[in-house]
Amino acid sequence: MSNQFSHEKIIQLRKKRSAADRRFKTYGLIATVIGMAILFFLLFTIFSKGYSSFQKTVIELDVTFDQETLKITPNATYEEQVEAKFFKVKKNAIANALPDLSKKDIKLMKKMFSINVDKEIKEYFLQNPNILNTTQKLLVTAHSDVDQMLKGNAKRNIEEKKRKLNDRQLEFFDEFVFTGRLKSKFNNFFFTNADSRHPELAGIAGSFVGSLFTLITVFLLAFPIGIGASIYLEEFAPKNKFTELIEVNIANLAAVPSIVFGLLGLGILLNVFGFPRSTPLVGGTVLALMTLPTIIIACRASLKAVPPSIKEGALAMGASKMQAVFHHQVPLALPGTLTGTIIGLAQALGETAPLIMIGMIAFIPNIPTGFTEPSAALPVQIYLWVESAERGFQEKTAAAIMMILIFLFLMNAIAVFLRSRFERKW
Amino acid sequence: MNNVKVSTKNVNVHYGTKQALHRVTLDINEKEVTALIGPSGCGKSTFLRCINRMNDLIDICKVDGSITVDNEEIISDEVDVVSLRSKIGMVFQKPNPFPKSIFDNVAYGPTIHGIVETKTDLEEIVHSSLKRAGLLKEVKDRLHEPGTSLSGGQQQRLCIARAIAVNPDIILMDEPCSALDPIATATIEELIDELKNKYTIVIVTHSMQQAARVSQRTGFFHLGELVETGETQKIFTNPENEKTQGYITGRFG
Repeated sequence: MSNQFSHEKIIQLRKKRSAADRRFKTYGLIATVIGMAILFFLLFTIFSKGYSSFQKTVIELDVTFDQETLKITPNATYEEQVEAKFFKVKKNAIANALPDLSKKDIKLMKKMFSINVDKEIKEYFLQNPNILNTTQKLLVTAHSDVDQMLKGNAKRNIEEKKRKLNDRQLEFFDEFVFTGRLKSKFNNFFFTNADSRHPELAGIAGSFVGSLFTLITVFLLAFPIGIGASIYLEEFAPKNKFTELIEVNIANLAAVPSIVFGLLGLGILLNVFGFPRSTPLVGGTVLALMTLPTIIIACRASLKAVPPSIKEGALAMGASKMQAVFHHQVPLALPGTLTGTIIGLAQALGETAPLIMIGMIAFIPNIPTGFTEPSAALPVQIYLWVESAERGFQEKTAAAIMMILIFLFLMNAIAVFLRSRFERKW
Repeated sequence: MNNVKVSTKNVNVHYGTKQALHRVTLDINEKEVTALIGPSGCGKSTFLRCINRMNDLIDICKVDGSITVDNEEIISDEVDVVSLRSKIGMVFQKPNPFPKSIFDNVAYGPTIHGIVETKTDLEEIVHSSLKRAGLLKEVKDRLHEPGTSLSGGQQQRLCIARAIAVNPDIILMDEPCSALDPIATATIEELIDELKNKYTIVIVTHSMQQAARVSQRTGFFHLGELVETGETQKIFTNPENEKTQGYITGRFG
């Protein structure tokens, strides 16, 4: 059989073409493998550095609550109990943490405990006031230096000067370990505390709540404005040079570096309108400006994707333009819009630069309770911690990154869920 | 002889600089089926969409001339297109049920125009409309399933039910059967034949056989002009114009 396809040259070409196919497939596979490898390496590094942050080190301490030291009577009122001298009880307990400690030793020993110990002793007593005049075994938080040593993050086989714990303190440490008084516990502080100068007490609750408030502000501002603008531009606006200019500028706005929005917030929101500095309100407003173009672009694309036949059908039924838009097009465009919004919010969640500009980088040691209270945000918290000199903050940084990734993952999961739940066929 | 329902005089339509219709003058009689035939791009759909002002949706489209419905001029900015369209139903080439339930599709018109007071009234309208569209038997047990789950022919009948639910005077049909198989087409044609007792129907069609089967009067469009209009029987058996003759005998188009 001799047809045109059996020609020698054509067979050669065919072989070449299928070889190109195979080559391209291999390139794609290699690219995917490299990408996955980098991603896994990243995740592995973060998790291996961060997981220890979920554990804290506690020291078992014999605390004697005698009434002479506390300066209270057994029938003292709650107010009197609150005012009792717990720091003295702590001092005694630490002085007797190990037998036969010299004055100098006691000073060193004190540095192995967190400054939070007073409070822990006090809280324990206020919950169990009937322990007056008894000695209790309490698990109190160790100093970050002890914590890091136990976790193996700090090296001990180096010069004494380069170590946070000196030789004597290491002896105490070993003694505690030997007698089993040094224990690891779930680090509740990481989830319930705001930022702190002391790594063992620092947590992400403050910045998490701050981020949450900020995102709520972003959503409340950007979502209605974005949808309104998209519907107007897509369905109602006359098509002329002016609206064309607006459209081009919305696309441009999406590409403006985020720090520029931060400067805008600093220059206009803070300095001209006098918004409260470092608050989720102003942070959210700035990020809303940044998120708007993303939402508008997503919403307009989804509105465009609704088949015109649906709108024509509604209009031909005598629906007004607004009815046609809101009864038919908007519901159909909503899944896409929501997905776009969540992607925009996820972007806003990870944004650091504009928040630094409007002062959300301030050290805020408490959890914000409102939109107008100074607050931190997750990415800025990461930035603050990664800058800190203390070794204890390193694992916090990694753990905070884990938290932000989980937050992002959840938001994307919601986007996927919404898309599959509400997507309709036509 | 029936009364004239829609009357057009010297209707010109421009898309930008391109003129799509040239001085179309045509009367459409009440309770009759008027078929508009002609080759693709001859302007028959454009003409149809002038009657319910659907051309307003196209920014660059300009309509001038005079169209009266019940002796009232509709080519004017003062005309309320919403009330005009509530009087004139439309069925499109591709079935376009709303992505809602079958019930909601039919109930949409009565609901937005506020012509029903109670839920029972609404249900009655939906049932009677579906019945008149010959769809009730097939869907009465699944009124709450999406309209898009129906077959193509059923969807088109759903669209007809949707259109007649607001009890319009006129129904415009823009190639209603072009996306359907012959059996579904036959069903729709039977339906059109029945509906003409109550409504004035204007149907654009590509199929000359269809025009011959369902219509009483026919207009033949060519290159944006209404070449000939008259009784269907006459157009198909003894056309006056050479072009009409050529088209119906299949010499062009």
